[in-house]
Parts: sequence; structure tokens; C-alpha cells
Amino acid sequence: MNTIAPSKNTPMIELKGVCKSYGLYEVLKGIDAEVARGEVVVICGPSGSGKSTLIRTVNRLEEIGSGSISCDGNNIHRPMPAQELNRLRSRIGFVFQSFNLFPHLSAIDNIAMSPIRVKGVSRDAAYAKATQLLERVGLTDKANAYPGQLSGGQQQRVAIARALAMEPPVMLFDEPTSALDPEMVGEVLSVMKGLAADGMTMMCVTHEMGFARDVADRVWFIDQGQIVESAPPEEFFSRPQTTRAQRFLSELRH
Amino acid sequence: MISDIIVIIRDYWLLLLIGQYPNGPLGGLAATLILSILAIAFAFPVSIALALARLSKSPFLNWPVTALVYFTRGVPLLMLILWGYFLVPLATGANVPSFLTMLVTLVVYQGAFLSEVVRGGIVALGHGQMEAARALGHSYLGAMRYVILPQALYNVIPSIISVFVSTIKDTTLGYVINVPDLTFAASQINNQLLTQPFQVFFILAAVYYVICWSLTRVAVATESRITRKRAGMVPLPTAKSLKLAALTDQPS
Repeated sequence: MNTIAPSKNTPMIELKGVCKSYGLYEVLKGIDAEVARGEVVVICGPSGSGKSTLIRTVNRLEEIGSGSISCDGNNIHRPMPAQELNRLRSRIGFVFQSFNLFPHLSAIDNIAMSPIRVKGVSRDAAYAKATQLLERVGLTDKANAYPGQLSGGQQQRVAIARALAMEPPVMLFDEPTSALDPEMVGEVLSVMKGLAADGMTMMCVTHEMGFARDVADRVWFIDQGQIVESAPPEEFFSRPQTTRAQRFLSELRH
Repeated sequence: MISDIIVIIRDYWLLLLIGQYPNGPLGGLAATLILSILAIAFAFPVSIALALARLSKSPFLNWPVTALVYFTRGVPLLMLILWGYFLVPLATGANVPSFLTMLVTLVVYQGAFLSEVVRGGIVALGHGQMEAARALGHSYLGAMRYVILPQALYNVIPSIISVFVSTIKDTTLGYVINVPDLTFAASQINNQLLTQPFQVFFILAAVYYVICWSLTRVAVATESRITRKRAGMVPLPTAKSLKLAALTDQPS
């Protein structure tokens, strides 16, 4: 395995000339960007702009047409044996809009299963860690509940704990609060804020501009498959440079 | 009428139960049960392997299995049994016992049917579960084993049971290649008595009914046990609501 030892100076995620098309339709048109270690990047943009596709290419849930994406020094999209890709994927946490908890497993089993089956962690250690993680997301009392018995907000918090159980150095969030009732958005965002405060590197596609303002180090504004603006949130929200971003922000305020 | 049946059972119960054994091969109900259990036990894992092969992107796995499934679905089981019985000894020169011919034919035939049920269950689950498992670092087969199949197989239990039941009933076709099963024994009795075909075959029908009905009960009990365990997904089952729930409930 030609894993490059990560150094403190290399960016955690590095996208170089990332292009992707579905047939004739170009979704991503040459994305060049970096996410530093410990940085929180919020990706926003109009629907159909390619933001979900972009975040899904980072752990190779989507293939790319050309370019490269490195995570922790490893090129995710190079040709490699399946096991190597699985190993790299296990080091990138991913949280889905639709939670995708495993409905046949209880909350704690959802969290402990992958460390046991993928990393070969002992059952005792995996369940001890899972208990800790449930405490971290405030769901100690729901350890034995099945996903069908949990609210959307609770399910998403379990899903975050499940991703954290693999101890990834980076977490990706694909619209984690978009499928939630409004009163449950806060509980999920506060877990994410806690993660950011602990120094987790995060990429997050979201429409929660309040979260972007409070937590993000940088906001990427994506439109028509390109990163149109990349700026710290206070700058992006108060002085958007492009008309497209201005229009997007004014539409959000309505 | 009833008394005729009782007399037949009294006179021939041992033949119905174990055939000519120990003077001949083990037959009767024992052979039917052994054939059924073995056929189901082999057909089930075979069907999962076939379903995975049909879902595979590799043409080397996909094409032959797809061809097999289409062929098997399009040809009557009796035809396969007769081919196996006459052609395999011709082609290989080996003397294959009819019991084995019947078993292999049943496994291939029902395995192919069952594989479509299993494949349907997997496809119906949608992409989200597989993506979530892959994102956590599971291999494709690992995701299948720990995430997809436990849900997919549970969701298609009713259809799986239908195939199992039809496997048991299809063991009767072994009669045409002299597999000494329950049907074979009943037919021997009928040939001796000559005058009471209704009574003889009524016994046969009743025994098959009890076997198939018992299997259905076991399946319903298994299903409701799993359902109760995953109580969040479906309301606690009553015997009546269960069948409906199994048809309509989607994993959330």
C-alpha cells in the first residue's frame, strides 16, 4: 500500500480539476479546492448546482470523469483494488440526507457493527465506544431502540454517531437536516457544532445559513458545476462578489 | 368411505411411512421429507448465489445465470426431470440414482425461481442501504451479508415460503422416474387394491396438505418473531394483520 504519510501541512481534502458529466450534461466543470485540517467548509448553492454530486465524489460514491481528489494524502479516484478503496472509505465519515440507518439493527448495533465487521475491533471495545458515542449525541436512553422507533432528528444523530465510530479524520454531510421537521434541525446542528469545536475536518452541504455563519470557516458557493465563490462566512454573507451569489442569498432571505 | 381409508392406513402404514425399507430403498413419507428438506436446504443458498450473480456487473457471472433462469422458467419441471434421468447416464455413463437426479433437478429448478424472489427483495430495498454500508467501508459482499440480505430476505419471506411449499409438492413428480417417495408408495397401494383410487389418493393429499400447512405455520411464526424484534418497523402483529404488513411495509 502506497499510503503517503499525512503531514500537518498537506490539506485534508484536495480537489484538482474535478469534472463529471452524466451523458452530455456536465455536473462538475473543473473543481479546484482544498479543505485544510480542522477546517469546516459549508457548501451552498441553488438546487441542481452539483453540490451533492461534489460531496459524493469525495468518498467515491460517485465516480468522476477527470481530475483527482485526495483525502488525507491518498488519491481516492486512482485505480486501486476494492479492499484499498474500502479501507480509504472507512476513513471518511458520511452522513446522508435520508439517514440510511440499518432498520434491522438497534441504534447501538448500527453504531458498533461496522467497527466490528470492517475494522475487526473486539465486540467489547466496539460497544464501549458505541455507548460513548450515543452519550455524545445525547441518546444514551435510545441504545436499544430500532430506527423505526426514533424521530428523524434522533435517527440522524445515531447516523452521525455511526459514522464517528469508524474514527474518521474527516466527516462529510450531505444536507443532513433537509429531511427533518423544523423543530428537530437544532438538535442535529448542535451535535455538528460540537464536532466542529472538537477540531473535526468537515464538509457540509446545507441550506442552514445560520449554521454556516456560526460554524463554518469558509463557504463555497457552487453554481452550474463550478465553485463561484469561496470566502469566510461573514464576508460571503455581507459582501457576495458575484451576481449569482447575490441572487441566491436574496432568494434565501424571502 | 372413511372406514375404507382407515383400513388402508392400517394395512399399509409402514409402506406409506418408509416404503420397502429395509428390504428395498428407504421410501414413503420418509423419502418425501428427506427429499424436500435437502432440496430446500440446497436451493436456498443456491438461490442467493444466483441472485447475486444476476445482480453482478460481470458478464461472466451475469449472462450464464440469466440464461439459466430464463431457460428454467420456460421449461416444465417434468421435462427437466426426464432429461436428467435419460441424458445424464447417457452422457456420463454413470449410473445415477433417481433420488439424486430428482434432488439436483429440484435444486436447480427451484433455486432459479427462488433467485428471482431474492433478487426482487434486494432491488426493492433501494440504493440508500448499500451506499450507507459502502460509505462505512464495508465490501460489496460484506454489505450484502450484514445489511442488505437480512432486510431483503425478511421482506420476501411470504414469497420464499411459496417456493418452499411448491418444492415439497414438486417432489411428487419423482414418481415418473421411480423415486420411491410417498406418491410412489400410494400408487403401489392403488395398483394392489385397484378399486379404491379415491381413498388412496385422499390419504396422499391429506399428508401433503399437513406437511405444507405446517411449513406455512413455521414461516408465519418466524416472521412474527422477527417482526416483534424489530418492533419499530411494524405494529405488533396479530395473526391477521401480519400477512398484510409483510406485503406493504417498507423498511424506514
